[in-house]
Amino acid sequence: MKTYLADYVTLILVAVVLALMPLGLGGSAYYLRLATLMLIYMAYAVAFNIIFGHTRQLFLCVGALAGCSAYISVVLVMKMSLSAWASIPVGILSAAVLGGVFSYVSVRRGLGVIFVGIVTLVSSMIFHNLILGLRQWTNGETGIETKGLGPALLAPGLGSYYAILGVLMASLVLYHLLMRSRAGAAFRAIADDELAAELAGIDVTMYKVLAATVGSALIGAIGAIYAYYGGFINPTVYGFVNVDIAVLVTLLLGGMGTMLGPVIGGVLFTILDEIVRPLGRINVLVYGVLMVLLVISFRHGLVALLRKLTGARIP
Amino acid sequence: MIAILFDGIVQGLQLSLMAVGITLIFGLGGVLNLAHGQFAVVGGIAAALLIEAGVYAPLACALGMLSAGVLGLVVDRTLLVPAYRSAGEERLLLGLLITLGLSFVVNGYLDFKYADISLTLNLATPSFNVGGITIRTASAVAALIAIVAFVLLFAFLKGTLLGKVIRSIIQNEVGAGLCGINPGRIRTVIVIMSAMMAALGGITQGLFSSLGTEMGNELTSYALIVTVVGGVRSINGTLAAGVLLGIVNAFASYYVGAYLTLIILLGTAALTILLRPEGLFAHRT
Amino acid sequence: MSVVIAAEDVEVAYGDMSVVRGVSLEVRQGEAVAIIGPNGAGKTTLFKAIAGMLALRAGRIIYQGARLDGIRHYDVVKQGVVYVPAERELFPQMTVMENLELGAYAHYKSHAERMKFVLGVFPRLDERRTQMAGTLSGGEQQMLAVGRGLMARPKILLLDEPSTGLAPLFVSEMYRQLSRLKEQGLTILLAEQQIPHALAFSERAYVLENGAIRLSGKSKDLLGDPEIQKTYLGMD
Repeated sequence: MKTYLADYVTLILVAVVLALMPLGLGGSAYYLRLATLMLIYMAYAVAFNIIFGHTRQLFLCVGALAGCSAYISVVLVMKMSLSAWASIPVGILSAAVLGGVFSYVSVRRGLGVIFVGIVTLVSSMIFHNLILGLRQWTNGETGIETKGLGPALLAPGLGSYYAILGVLMASLVLYHLLMRSRAGAAFRAIADDELAAELAGIDVTMYKVLAATVGSALIGAIGAIYAYYGGFINPTVYGFVNVDIAVLVTLLLGGMGTMLGPVIGGVLFTILDEIVRPLGRINVLVYGVLMVLLVISFRHGLVALLRKLTGARIP
Repeated sequence: MIAILFDGIVQGLQLSLMAVGITLIFGLGGVLNLAHGQFAVVGGIAAALLIEAGVYAPLACALGMLSAGVLGLVVDRTLLVPAYRSAGEERLLLGLLITLGLSFVVNGYLDFKYADISLTLNLATPSFNVGGITIRTASAVAALIAIVAFVLLFAFLKGTLLGKVIRSIIQNEVGAGLCGINPGRIRTVIVIMSAMMAALGGITQGLFSSLGTEMGNELTSYALIVTVVGGVRSINGTLAAGVLLGIVNAFASYYVGAYLTLIILLGTAALTILLRPEGLFAHRT
Repeated sequence: MSVVIAAEDVEVAYGDMSVVRGVSLEVRQGEAVAIIGPNGAGKTTLFKAIAGMLALRAGRIIYQGARLDGIRHYDVVKQGVVYVPAERELFPQMTVMENLELGAYAHYKSHAERMKFVLGVFPRLDERRTQMAGTLSGGEQQMLAVGRGLMARPKILLLDEPSTGLAPLFVSEMYRQLSRLKEQGLTILLAEQQIPHALAFSERAYVLENGAIRLSGKSKDLLGDPEIQKTYLGMD
């Protein structure tokens, strides 16, 4: 009988620590916002972890998927006077469908990791240019102000912090449930050796598409939520550098294929970002150096390191 | 019409020149070089700095190419080593991530230190007349450079031992090893060549408009599109795809505008991967 | 006769799985030695280990008195150990001549003269010298693979299943050419599933089953061995 004690303990610890975090921020609106953004990136990372960390689908389009959901939701609210509560699910659905379709086509065509990476990277660029080109809907590079468009819950403040924390915890619980189910076992087999999994009778197509759809739906949810929380959206907000690179670095720092990875990675990344951003133009260089160093020497992330050092079962 | 077609072919040759480097490194080293555009920019900026310092322009350009080559050598021997030590999918992944990070490093550094530097090459006669059509000298020179570069490349690959060795590794790395060929050393040669060709592409860009530090990612994107459409392991394919996409780009830009054109090009790349991953023109290396 | 190559207690494993264990064999100068055994016995794994393509988990490979294991597979070629795998691994979009030329990479200076020799051994390849390797028939591709191996001036040639998928006519012709080469002093180690040819061609043979040597001896004797006859030759 498998005991998930470690997982439960971790989930509770994470929830408690993150819930208590605002108390330690001294009432500063700036730090509250920073912490909220940290939660957002953690959630992105959980989603990407499911898609790439567990089924090796290199979706270099996290920003594009999030942006898709965000723009669709915002445009629906603005131009069709739909309520945000109604339009957010539409955004989520579109992201989920897109992600699922990408995955399905890629698996059916037998595309390797690198080609999935290229096709999704290209799609990110298409998305970016679509937003710029459809400026009568999207306002192009200038972007759209979303203050007041979304639900009051998501207006910047303590309420939105806890609402987003709720979403993050929900995604971590979803991750846990997914990984302990048959799907999770299938994921492990697929990540280990896809051909062997196929031969062993695992429906690789279904599980990969499942992972991609669930992950993309989550990305869509975060993307839409962030649109209303952030107060402003434009293509750069959901751009490759702002989202995909951040998520990659977060997971590299924390550890792919683990539950704590996105959380720890999110904390580290936020701290790093705070240190690096004020440096101005040089911050891109620092991120590059960080990425290269991480990939070369720290590929498995902090969780793996902690596991090795303490021998403990860290999820 | 003819003017657009000619423009398209010239642009296409430029694109092919940029893209062939990616094809070479991918076909031979199994690494997708996302920092490719940065090699071009390094070469161009180095040339610009030298010209500013008073060096004779063509010499500055040659030295610019050389500095890109040196960068390629250093990258290959240091950063790419972990990628080369792995094989197959692991190598592809590592290579992609490492070169991605590298692109930020170079981009960030150049943007920081040389943000105001750009390479613009001016020619004595801006245009000349052939059979009633006005041709920009820049276009003619750029096309000539690209054609000469490709002719030299093909002659090298077909005629020299090293060229044949390179083709053999691209076609069958295992088979090459059985002949006693050490792929590692050859990879370094390829990375250097590829960086220099990228730099050449970047420098010829300076003939048309200017090459600035921020253009690296854009150049990489275009090169990636061409390589993918032509076939990531096929040099002939890359050349053909480049010219084709150059023509498409020229006509589309004229008729439907910048964003839609880019979407068309990107869409072509995406469709090629989905429908014919080995490339539209791939059947020979 | 001096020993050209010897395997001492060799073990090759993938992860936890030992594919070849405790294998010792030797090949002497000018000999042709066959390794026979069913599919999956480990013949190819053993060859790849000797050729330096796979690492040894245990044991050593001794070649001309020095250790061969640990040397990269592209470096053993220059020393005279040439491996021709069952998959052939040719260069499909290069001509027959270019394939052969590359085979001489390790001794390139004299490649022109060596090419004359090899084309003399395989006149059929000479007829098709400008044809793309990918368009050759199965038999011709096998000949090209062996020919490319010969271009490297091997002191010992490791042939992995040279007759697989070939029409009987080709198989006979191939072995006829190999015999000629053997007479000229080439040392050959070959792995075969087609037992009659292998045993007829070689002086000695080892029987490899489940990664271990089960029998060994003079090929003539093995041909007459009732168990061999029953298991591999289908006679009863």
